[in-house]
Amino acid sequence: MNLILFIFIVLLGFTSYYFGRKKAYTIQSTNKRLTALPQFYGYYLAIWCAIPAFIIFSLWAIFEPTIVKLLILSDYSNQGYLDDELNLIYEKTKALSRGQFTGEITPFIEASAEKYLSLRSIAQSSKAVIVLSIIIASVAYAYKKISSNSRTREPVEKFLKVVLFTASLAAILTTVGIVFSLIFQTIDFFKVIPLFDFVFGTHWYPAKAFVRDSSEALDPTMYSDTFGAVPIFAGTFFIAFIAMCVAIPIGLMSGIYLAEYASVKVRQYAKPLIEILAGIPTVVYGFFAALTVGPFLKEIGNSMGLDVSAESALAAGGVMGIMIIPFISSLSDDVITSVPQSLRDGSYAMGATKSETIKKVIFPAALPGIVGSILLGVSRAIGETMIVVMASGLAANLTLNPLESTSTITAQIVVILIGDQAFGDPKTQAAFALGMSLFLVTLCLNIVALRVVKKYREKYE
Amino acid sequence: MKKNGVKMIKINSKNVDVFYGKKQALFNINLDIEENQVTALIGPSGCGKSTFLRCLNRMNDVIDICRVKGQIIINDFDINDKSCDVVRLREKIGMVFQKPNPFPKTIYENISYGPTIHGMAQSKNEMDEIVETSLKKAALWEEVKDRLHEPGTGLSGGQQQRLCIARAISVKPEVILMDEPCSALDPIATAQIEELIDELKKDHTIIIVTHSMAQAARVSQNTGFFHLGELIEHGSTDKIFKNPENKKTQDYITGRFG
Ligand SMILES: Nc1ncnc2c1ncn2[C@@H]1O[C@H](COP(=O)(O)OP(=O)(O)OP(=O)(O)O)[C@@H](O)[C@H]1O
Ligand SMILES: [Mg+2]
Repeated sequence: MNLILFIFIVLLGFTSYYFGRKKAYTIQSTNKRLTALPQFYGYYLAIWCAIPAFIIFSLWAIFEPTIVKLLILSDYSNQGYLDDELNLIYEKTKALSRGQFTGEITPFIEASAEKYLSLRSIAQSSKAVIVLSIIIASVAYAYKKISSNSRTREPVEKFLKVVLFTASLAAILTTVGIVFSLIFQTIDFFKVIPLFDFVFGTHWYPAKAFVRDSSEALDPTMYSDTFGAVPIFAGTFFIAFIAMCVAIPIGLMSGIYLAEYASVKVRQYAKPLIEILAGIPTVVYGFFAALTVGPFLKEIGNSMGLDVSAESALAAGGVMGIMIIPFISSLSDDVITSVPQSLRDGSYAMGATKSETIKKVIFPAALPGIVGSILLGVSRAIGETMIVVMASGLAANLTLNPLESTSTITAQIVVILIGDQAFGDPKTQAAFALGMSLFLVTLCLNIVALRVVKKYREKYE
Repeated sequence: MKKNGVKMIKINSKNVDVFYGKKQALFNINLDIEENQVTALIGPSGCGKSTFLRCLNRMNDVIDICRVKGQIIINDFDINDKSCDVVRLREKIGMVFQKPNPFPKTIYENISYGPTIHGMAQSKNEMDEIVETSLKKAALWEEVKDRLHEPGTGLSGGQQQRLCIARAISVKPEVILMDEPCSALDPIATAQIEELIDELKKDHTIIIVTHSMAQAARVSQNTGFFHLGELIEHGSTDKIFKNPENKKTQDYITGRFG
């Protein structure tokens, strides 16, 4: 019903566009100059269709449920029900009308449900009638009003601006909302667990917190030695470090090759190929790490008499490094390519060879941009989840041995939130605290990286 | 300059053709450049002046699609020969570009760049000396001697161009190629550079591309006129400007076409 109505309104919109434009053409044919292109007349009418429709739909969505509820519950007034009971009755009525009620059906409720259904259908049809008549009236009014010298371009432009503004506002508000929910949950968490224990504690064992019976009162002392985040911060940076050890040299060298040595033809094929690496879903990297690289490392280690666990920091970090190569390679290629040719010419004309030119002129000139791309890579490494969850284990060991398993912030968030959880439980809130720390770290990295890159851009405008 | 009454030829080009891909940019150029003189190359835009200049230090190697044919003989040696070492060649033949292009390094490092590459200084003192004499020769020393360790990109356009000239002469080249070195500068900076060119020709052979007839007349002893990839006429600047043999040269110099 709503869908049909919606389609109908969209069609009406197109029709009014068509009529608006047609009227503009008619005016034009009488040799009058228009104040805007004919399309604007069309758009103008379409807006006169869209805005009333939008307003009425929103009003309806806000008021219809309240009014229907009032009408239904008016039958039960003066019977001494409490507010809570009334709400329950209303919920039962709704459930019954949808055929989803499974309790005992009383005649009262049945009557209410029937009333509910009839009210809804009245509301729906009156909505359709009201919307359509108002739209037609407003479009007709606008159609009559537009003439050769009416302003249609400005309202259309303004409407577009408002629409675009609303879209960006929605994006920003969502971000702000997410950040705030992170902040509040984190604050709640630190009300139970002291900040000091979280930042400096060396035992991370959230499973322990899970044994608590929810009927028991919250006793902070039972969480000592449970939420010490040092092992997972260490694990996060350690795995990121391993990843960067793989990604920086390979990515940088391939970036330099692409920018300075590769012929146009090679570059044309090689660059997209490398960028395909960036398009592989991280889960795929994850099972590559868990099923191929991990066991492979274990086997090699065992044959050399080393004790390697199948889930090792090395496997996860190494594969993560491979995942990051295309970022560093592609970004540093861009940065190096944008070093002005005149600097290269200047260096060659002094008799410098290609490698001298790269080492002494191009690389220093591109360095800020390269650092920026590396920082972006690091922030990817720290935020990466799937590979770690699959390949580096979930036990938060405090270790610097790359052959043992460690865990990261992201992996622990997954561990905590998989399975049963209760909102307001310290264990669940710990995930928010971790998320907050992760957010802060990557935010700082991104800000620094973008600053550096921007500064570099300005230099070679 | 004449030795025993004979003109000394520094560069001797024979039947030089240049192609960019399929398109031919220079046709059979035969041009001799006299030692310790300033030779100006003039001609309308796109006629191949820069292309010819870049042949002389093999800068066209940098452009993938560019092919050079013919002989260019410097010091009895064909630079297009396989046995020619580009690094040594460019040490001997310096170049200054149209737009000042100092490296994003300090003034000192800009000058010491070439000498370092070619291993010309054994000690810090020697390097300091090279930097100082190069800057003095480029008439920039007084202006920058207190800020040698500040970035070269922080200088004014005219200063940057003199820095680039100092950079070029730091390796004591025999020849200096200049491609419209004053086109980005104001008249005062231009006058300074022209004065400098006159000074430099004592020790160096100079070839300068310019769009300014007045500049060519002021600084050069010899002039070559290019048109559509051909060398139409060349000879002493006096002769080219006072009574050119070719009608096209005459028209170009008097500004009747461009
Ligand atoms: N890199 C290149 N690739 C292809 N063609 C080129 C290239 N450089 C120059 N050419 C062509 O070669 C011809 C000569 O160019 P050149 O730059 O030598 O002219 P010019 O005399 O220096 O002109 P201007 O006075 O404008 O600097 C032109 O037709 C130009 O289009
Ligand atoms: Mg040119």
